[in-house]
Amino acid sequence: MSPVLLLNLAWQISTLALIALGLAIVFGKLRIMNMAHGEFVMIGAYAPVITSMLGLPGWLQLPVCLITVAFVAFVLERTIVRHLYGRMFDSLLATWGIAILLREIVELIFGRSYQSVSPPLSGTINVIGVDYPAYRIAVIIGIFLGFIGFSWWNTRSKMATRIKAMVGNPELAEAIGLNTARLSAGAFVFGCCTAGLAGLILAPTVRIEPMMGLDYLIRSFFALVVGGLGSLEGLGIGVSIIAGTQTFLGAVSSQTYGYLAVLTLSILFLWLKPNGIHSSSR
Amino acid sequence: MAYQIGLYLIYGIAAQGIGYLWGKTGVLPLGQSLFFGIAAYVTAITLRADGNLFLNLGLATIGLTLISGLAFLLATLVFRGRNESGPYFSLITLALVMIAEQVAGTASSLTGGFNGISGFNSLGNLDPFGGFYYVIVAATVTVSLLLFILNRLPINLIVKSVMDNEPRMQLLGFRTHVIKGAAFAFSAMIAALAGGLFASHQGIVTPTSAGFALSAEMVILTAVGGRFHVLGPLIGAVIVGWASAELRDSFPYWELLMAVVFILVILKSPGGIAELLETAFRWVWPKEAKHVPPSVLVPKIQFNKQKKPLRFEDVKLQIGVVQILNKVSFEAPLTGIISIIGPNGAGKTSALNTITGNLNVTGGRIMLGESRIDSRPPHRALANGIGRKLQVPSVFFSLSISENLAIAMMAGRLRLADLFKPATYQWRSKSLFDILSNPSVPLNEELTEPVKHLPQGHRQFLEYAMTVAAEPSVLLLDEPCAGLSPDETTLMTELVKTYQSETSGLVIVIEHDMSIVEAISDKVLVLHLGQVLAFDDYDKVRLNTDVQAVYAGGTK
Repeated sequence: MSPVLLLNLAWQISTLALIALGLAIVFGKLRIMNMAHGEFVMIGAYAPVITSMLGLPGWLQLPVCLITVAFVAFVLERTIVRHLYGRMFDSLLATWGIAILLREIVELIFGRSYQSVSPPLSGTINVIGVDYPAYRIAVIIGIFLGFIGFSWWNTRSKMATRIKAMVGNPELAEAIGLNTARLSAGAFVFGCCTAGLAGLILAPTVRIEPMMGLDYLIRSFFALVVGGLGSLEGLGIGVSIIAGTQTFLGAVSSQTYGYLAVLTLSILFLWLKPNGIHSSSR
Repeated sequence: MAYQIGLYLIYGIAAQGIGYLWGKTGVLPLGQSLFFGIAAYVTAITLRADGNLFLNLGLATIGLTLISGLAFLLATLVFRGRNESGPYFSLITLALVMIAEQVAGTASSLTGGFNGISGFNSLGNLDPFGGFYYVIVAATVTVSLLLFILNRLPINLIVKSVMDNEPRMQLLGFRTHVIKGAAFAFSAMIAALAGGLFASHQGIVTPTSAGFALSAEMVILTAVGGRFHVLGPLIGAVIVGWASAELRDSFPYWELLMAVVFILVILKSPGGIAELLETAFRWVWPKEAKHVPPSVLVPKIQFNKQKKPLRFEDVKLQIGVVQILNKVSFEAPLTGIISIIGPNGAGKTSALNTITGNLNVTGGRIMLGESRIDSRPPHRALANGIGRKLQVPSVFFSLSISENLAIAMMAGRLRLADLFKPATYQWRSKSLFDILSNPSVPLNEELTEPVKHLPQGHRQFLEYAMTVAAEPSVLLLDEPCAGLSPDETTLMTELVKTYQSETSGLVIVIEHDMSIVEAISDKVLVLHLGQVLAFDDYDKVRLNTDVQAVYAGGTK
C-alpha cells in the first residue's frame, strides 16, 4: 500500500468518524434516526461560504459554523424532534422531511450551483516519504486528539453519566431529578454539531452543494451497521471498514465500485450479524 | 392536458406501490425509483431496438418478474436478520438508488450517460399525446382494482398483522421476513410497471428517472395523498402534480412549502388527504360493521401432531455477563401439566424463550424426540407443535377480536391458495369454537370490537384462545392468570385442564399462585438462579428442604 493511499485512508476514516459519532449519539442514545444528519454536514460546509459572502475574517468560520448548526438543530429539536422520542419510525419520516426542508432552504439562499472554498492551511508537509497537504495532516491529528478527549469525557464526566442514566431508564432518570428534556436537547444539538464541524472541515476538499449531505448520511449509517451501536470501539471498527473499503476500491477501480462494495458489505452484515461487530446492547 | 395527467397518473401508480408497502407493512421504501428507473431504461432500450408490440409485451412481463424477484431476494435477506421494519431497510433502499443514479450517469454505452436514451416510439406506436393516455388510464384502473381486491382477501389481514405485532406472527408460525419480502417485491413490481409506462410515454429516459430526487418526490406524494388508502397516493400525485405545475414558476417557495406540508402530515395527520376525504364520505354514508358467520369446517393442521418428549440437556443461556440458565436439565412427560415456579429472575420466561427460539442457547441442547429444536427462528416453533402465550398478552391491537381469531385460525393451516380465498376468514376449529361457546368466556359479544379497547383479563383469554387455535401438542403458557379476577382464574384453569385432557398433550405453565399450581399440576419444576432446584409432583416439591429454603419468609 502506497503512503499516499495510507494517508488518504487516515483522512477518510477520521472525517467519517466525526460524522458517525454524532449519528451514533442521536440514533444510539436518543433513538432518533436522524435522516437530516447529512444536511448538518452540508450546513457546516456552507459556513466558509457565509463568512466570505459577508466579508468576515477567516477565523470566524468555526464560530459561524457551530452557531448556525447549533441554532438550526436547537430550533428543530424544540419544534419537531422532541415529539418523536420513543417513536423511531416516525422520527425517520419527520427528519426525512426536515432534510428536504433544509436542502430547499439552502438552495433558495445559495442556489444549486457548486461552491468551493480554499483551505485555511495551504502547502504540504513531508510525511512518511510523501508530500501531503498540511491541512489534512492537521485535521487527522486534531480529530484523533478530539476522540481521545471525548472518550475520556465519556467515562469521567457527570453529564455523560446522566445521559447514560436517561437512556437506560428515562422515567427513573426524571424521578431522581434529571431534566431529561434538556439532556436530550443537548445531546441532539451536540450530535448535529459534530456533523456541522465535519462539514466545515471537509468544505475545502469537496464540492459544496445542497445535495451533498446524503452521501455522508449513508456512509456513517453503514459504519454504525457494521460496527454496532453503543461503543466507541464499535464506531472505530465500523468507520475503518466502511471508509477503508471505499477508499481502497475507489483507488484501484472506481468510486461506484467502492460504493457498491460498501452497500454489499452492509447488507451482508444486516443479514448475518445484525447487531454489528462490537455491540454493547447484547 | 391529457399528456400532463398521464404523467401524474404514472407517478401515482408508483406511489400506490409505495403506499401499499408503507401503509400496510410499515416499511418505508426510499429508493423506489430504482425499480422505476431500471424498468424505464429496459423499456427504452427494447423499444429502440424493435417496435414489435407482442415481443415488447413479452419482454415487459419477463422484466417485471425479474425485478420483483430481485426485490424479494434483497428484502428477505435483510429482514431475516432484523426483526423490525425501521430505518435499516429504508437506508439500504436509499443507498441502492444513489448507486443506480451514478451507474446510469456513467455507463454511457448502455444508458446514454447524462443525456439518456431517446429517439424511440411509444409502445405499439400510440400517440403519447392521445392514444397512449388511455393505456395509462387502463393501467391505473387495473392497479387500483388489484389493490382493492387484495384489501378484501386474507392476505391483507396477514400483511397488516405483521406490522401490528411481528413477534406474535412468528409464534403463530408465519415467516414474517418472507411476507415483508413479498410485499416489497409487489411494490417494486408496481414501480417497475410505472417506469415502463413512463419511458413509453415520455420518449426519453435520463438518470433522474432512476434518481434519488424522484424517490423522495414519490414518497411525498404518497404521504400527502394518504398511504393507508388505495386511492390516496393517486390523489396525492394528481393534486400535487397539478398544483406544482400551476405554482412552481410563479411561487419560488413551492418546494419549501411541500417539505413543510410533508412534515405536518407526518406529525399531525398520517392519513393524508385520503383520510380527510374518507371521514367526510363516512359522515354521509356510515360504514356498516358486517360480521361474517364462521363455519366449523377447517383444513387439517399441516404440522406433524405426533407427540414427542421435550428434553432439556444441560441448557445454558448467557446474555452479556449474566448467566440466566445454568445447565438446566429435565425431561418432560409426553402428556400432563407442568408448572414452572421460582423467584423473580430464576429464568422461567427465558426457559420458554429458548424453547420457542426467541433466545438462542449458549450451551447444551433442547430435544423434542430425536430432533434438536433450540436456536432456530421462532417462526419454526409451531411446526414442532409448540404454541406459546406470552407473559404480557401479545395480540394484534389494531385489529378486531374476530380478525385476531381469524389470523390465529390460519396458523399452521394456511396454504398459499388460501391467502386469496375469502372463505379463509370463516375458519373456526372445534377447540376454538368450544372456548367461545363457553358462556363464561367474555369474548363472544365483543367480536367486532378493536382489541385495544379490551380490558386486561379479556386480552388474556383472547391470547389463550389464539394460541390453542392451532392445537399445539406442546402448549407454553406464561402466567395466564396474571391480572384475572378469582372467577376468571377458575375459568382459565378449567380451560387449560380441558384442553390438556382433550388433546392429551403437554402444557407448561409459569405460575406464581400456589393454589393454582396445586390445582393443575401433574409435576412442578422449581427454578432458582438458572438451575433446576426440584422437579417432582406438588406434594414432594412442597416438602423439599431446598425449595423451602428459597421460599422461606413467605415470599411468593
